[in-house]
Amino acid sequence: MTNSTNNWIECLKKETGLEAKEGTASLQYVLDVDKQEAHQTLAYLKRAGFGQLSLLTCIDWIEQGTFQLIFILMHWELGHHLIVRALLDRENPEFTTITDIYPGAAYYEREVYEFFGVHFRGSAVYQKPLFLERWDDMPPLRKDFDPQAYSDGKFPKREHPHVFKANVVEVTE
Amino acid sequence: MNRTKSMFSPIRAWEYLFREPVTLHKKDVFVNPREASDRYRGFHQNDLSLCIGCGTCSEICPTDAISMVAVEGLIHEEGKKDERPAFDYGRCSFCGLCVDICTSDSLCMSKEYIHLSQDPDSFFYLPDASGIHEKEADKGYQRDEVSELLDLVRQKMDQEDPSRKSSFVEIMKGYSKKEALEEAARCVACGICTDTCPANMNIPEYIRAVFDDDMEEGMRQIYKTNPLANVCGRICTHKCEEVCAISHRGEPVAIRWLKRYLVDHASEEDYEAGALSSVTAFVQGKVAVVGSGPSGLSCAYYLRTLGYEVSVYESQALPGGVIRYGGPEYRLPEASVLKDISMIEKAGVQFICNTKVGVDITLETLHAEYDAVFLGTGFSLSRPLKIPGYEHPDVLYAIPFLASVRDYLRDMGPIPVVDQKAVVIGGGNVAFDVARSLVRLQEKLYGTSCVHMAILESRDQMLADAEELEEGLEEGLQVHFAYGPQSISIVDDRIKGLHVTKVQSIFDAEGRFNPSYDQTDQKVLEGTQVYMAIGQMPEYAYLNDEMRDRVLTKRGLIAVTDGGQIEGYPWLFAGGDIVRGPDIINGVATGHQAAKAIDLWLQTKP
Amino acid sequence: MKEVKLFLGPQHPGMHGNYSVHMYVDGDMIKKARPTPGFLHRGFEKLMERRFWMGNLALIPRICVVEPDINEMVYAMGIEALADVDVPERAHWIRMIILELGRLAIHMMSIGGIGGPTGMYTATYWGIAQRDLILDLFEKITGARIYHMYIVPGGVRKDLPEGILEDLAKVLDQLEKNLPEYEELILRHPIIHTRIKDNILLPASVVWELGVTGIGMRSATGAKNDLRKVKPYARYDQVEFDVPTATYSDALTRMNLKYQEMHQSIRILRQVMEKMPPDGPVRTAFSPGSALRYTVPAGMVYTAVESSRGEYGYFIVSDGKEKPYRIAVRGASYAQGLLGIEKYLPGYRIDDASIWMDTMGVCSPEIDR
Ligand code: SF4
Ligand code: SF4
Ligand code: SF4
Repeated sequence: MTNSTNNWIECLKKETGLEAKEGTASLQYVLDVDKQEAHQTLAYLKRAGFGQLSLLTCIDWIEQGTFQLIFILMHWELGHHLIVRALLDRENPEFTTITDIYPGAAYYEREVYEFFGVHFRGSAVYQKPLFLERWDDMPPLRKDFDPQAYSDGKFPKREHPHVFKANVVEVTE
Repeated sequence: MNRTKSMFSPIRAWEYLFREPVTLHKKDVFVNPREASDRYRGFHQNDLSLCIGCGTCSEICPTDAISMVAVEGLIHEEGKKDERPAFDYGRCSFCGLCVDICTSDSLCMSKEYIHLSQDPDSFFYLPDASGIHEKEADKGYQRDEVSELLDLVRQKMDQEDPSRKSSFVEIMKGYSKKEALEEAARCVACGICTDTCPANMNIPEYIRAVFDDDMEEGMRQIYKTNPLANVCGRICTHKCEEVCAISHRGEPVAIRWLKRYLVDHASEEDYEAGALSSVTAFVQGKVAVVGSGPSGLSCAYYLRTLGYEVSVYESQALPGGVIRYGGPEYRLPEASVLKDISMIEKAGVQFICNTKVGVDITLETLHAEYDAVFLGTGFSLSRPLKIPGYEHPDVLYAIPFLASVRDYLRDMGPIPVVDQKAVVIGGGNVAFDVARSLVRLQEKLYGTSCVHMAILESRDQMLADAEELEEGLEEGLQVHFAYGPQSISIVDDRIKGLHVTKVQSIFDAEGRFNPSYDQTDQKVLEGTQVYMAIGQMPEYAYLNDEMRDRVLTKRGLIAVTDGGQIEGYPWLFAGGDIVRGPDIINGVATGHQAAKAIDLWLQTKP
Repeated sequence: MKEVKLFLGPQHPGMHGNYSVHMYVDGDMIKKARPTPGFLHRGFEKLMERRFWMGNLALIPRICVVEPDINEMVYAMGIEALADVDVPERAHWIRMIILELGRLAIHMMSIGGIGGPTGMYTATYWGIAQRDLILDLFEKITGARIYHMYIVPGGVRKDLPEGILEDLAKVLDQLEKNLPEYEELILRHPIIHTRIKDNILLPASVVWELGVTGIGMRSATGAKNDLRKVKPYARYDQVEFDVPTATYSDALTRMNLKYQEMHQSIRILRQVMEKMPPDGPVRTAFSPGSALRYTVPAGMVYTAVESSRGEYGYFIVSDGKEKPYRIAVRGASYAQGLLGIEKYLPGYRIDDASIWMDTMGVCSPEIDR
């Protein structure tokens, strides 16, 4: 935490040329980065005071054919949340692990791999199964995964008898 | 804080042995359950006579716990379905969203919270007002205005201010895109309106298209059952709105205005793509349509979608009938009529105007030249009221007058001769059309207006739409409710006014039309012209005597089967006013039915 | 020595939901630990994409059983930010009542929860009984004891019922009276001390490494890192309260901080009762139309609140339609519940594992979702 002044935005611009924009909520910022420069930017941001990785997740923009990795960082002194976003090719989603910067990302990376199929180069563990046991379909948070169809195909349909207690109905009018 | 106590300090807890416990005794849990709070979300209760079976509760349910089940003893009627919600307590999460959104306010939850049974079927439950254990349980969770999940207030529509009376400019300005989308968002897509619409229009579907901003789909949905989209989007009697699910607790969805939004805002390409998507090539036979009013146009359009070649015979110079010559410009601009008719023309329908069947060409000829004939000649004559003085030349009639106004407005005729003061007899929508057109012409000619209306009915019984009265009063109409016309006073061959007497009752004890009057309350409504707008009637010049005897009913209508086929003349079909009485949307509906019936008959004819 | 594999859970090891840790032990000592989540994985994030914005209200509280309201709060805050609607003043204060009652309830549960692993069941009974009185309040306000579905986007679902503030005052008085008793009988009890003092240490460096927030972070770093102070939501900027901290984080310190936080919650609630507007609207519509067609303008936002276990957040993405495009849940205990167990549970004894879970605040449903 070397640089915790609240002008991290300017420093970031000066040193990396990247511009953080204001987010939708107060004290929230958004930063779009290229996949290639994401890793070093995150390292820079951590040095700049964003000591905590609050969340690492992913969005499937299936129509655009991209995944968007989302890193939510927290700067506790300033109370700033920074949403760092990087686009990945949906066909070949690859990224470099950030566990060297934020060790806490290890499980998030496993989760994003499990649910979206994003590969994290440089991590030995990201492919270890986490939540899903013996999963046999595409990563389920992808938009083209249809849970209804999956469960219809996987489990026998339970027919409800639907014996409704036929309470006597008085017809008015 | 770190100072520890003796190992035995919990012994102090012994004193709790003598305190009142905060827990309940087990046996009380079932026998004597504790009273749940007033808002408790327990089992559902549903007042089955209030519930309209709209299924909105089932739609919002996040756990798919509600199925709509047909209930024996209920009938599917206007504004109500015969289904009621049934709950699967294996799924229900007791969120109460179904209660918050219930359109009729019939659904609530009780304070009961225990249901124990070894019979799994008893967890499927179709509630009535008495609840799951069929004993009176106190009401628990209920909707209030804060937890409301419907939008009860309709989007306002801009309209011309009352100074509009000096011109025929359209009054309602239509919804903007934002307004339309927000209005469309109010619909819960229950389809109750569809059942009531005479044409069974796909209302929830086209409202959905508005919401999705998919104009082409919207047009397609409209044209599935109604080729007079512009006309009906403006002047339909919108019976659907009377039964709209939202109307039980709020203002109904503005179904008609949303239809109008679609036709007004669809691009030319979207419009055509939607309107003409199901029109096919000429492959079948030839059909003649007599009369180009709503039913004729509708029948012709749907015959085209079924592959028939269609010719429409029209006695006037322009096709359209009542929509071309009846409805006033300030409600139904010429451009709208033109758009509907041109779309039907684009569908391949041929119009033969200035040709009156029965005069210029006989029905027999049509029979010989075509495979089938459809009659949609409408109510083309005004009914006279034979009171003293009715034969005076300044006694005028609604239908020819309105036609002359429209001809004038499209530069096809002179300005109608209108005096400074006029009296209108009648209290329906047509009477208001006449009166309000008169106001406009008087303003144009004299800069001032004076129109009296003598209406037999009282204000509560009024036949016209409420907005006609409201807007008419804004424009300065002088409306006399419950006054019956007695005679026209004529001095020196000039009309001076109309004698009216206060009406005591319109119907006699047997319910027959037989007005009785209060002779002590009489007055004269001043005016030099009297306009009769008490009703219309059909003209059957094309029917020979033999046919008249066989097909006309006592009320002067044509007797038909369901599809509009005329008994004894299988090649002949009819629809619209002459079958059901005057109403545009009925015309559209019967025209469509007849097209299907004609197709069926021609396909199955030996 | 032979290494033996032992399973902790998933049958509800204490109060933490169905969660499992595979422990490789040598004698009593844990050599290796493998957190095994997923027993409560219900695919909430996927389900939420398939339900209406309002319908999700039935799902989200289920992500944390004991403190469900934080879910409703972050969900509402996110939608309010995206739709740019202002919450009525009174609703802010009502929300604080709910959130602080929730905090009290879960701290009571946690103090009760320490009874299990330490064998001091008095704590369990008292904690749970006390919590039930708070649930009574929830039932009166929201209509349900556990899954309240009360904080809704735009405000709260209904105004407070009549007389509830008197009931609240009564519960607070009673709780305040009992707290010293609990302290004496539980937190200062020699059994507890023997078992949890100087046990399960969490050094400040590990906090940053894992990304631990909440009491864990505050007990180790001494920093007042509480979102209610750092970026106040609702009306937390208009009430006075302290953020208890420490610089030595063992299990006892963390229990003590929970205990102190309860006093602060009571303090906040008393101020809320005094300062909240006596009436006025409590809900603003965030969208026109019926709930079947509520929409939220396209965009994405992350909202977070201070839960009893730290930063609890939702990342919400809308594409402008009637259903969310994507919602990601940041469970506050993700850090300590997964990597934390894997890296730092080894070295402790088997019977300490549950103390780890209880005092670190590991809540499996929010990890699994
Ligand atoms: S209470 Fe909720 S889950 Fe149950 S039936 Fe109603 S909407 Fe469905
Ligand atoms: S929403 Fe109400 S009126 Fe409609 S079906 Fe359900 S219970 Fe009946
Ligand atoms: S317009 Fe009204 S009746 Fe028709 S589907 Fe919508 S809510 Fe139901």
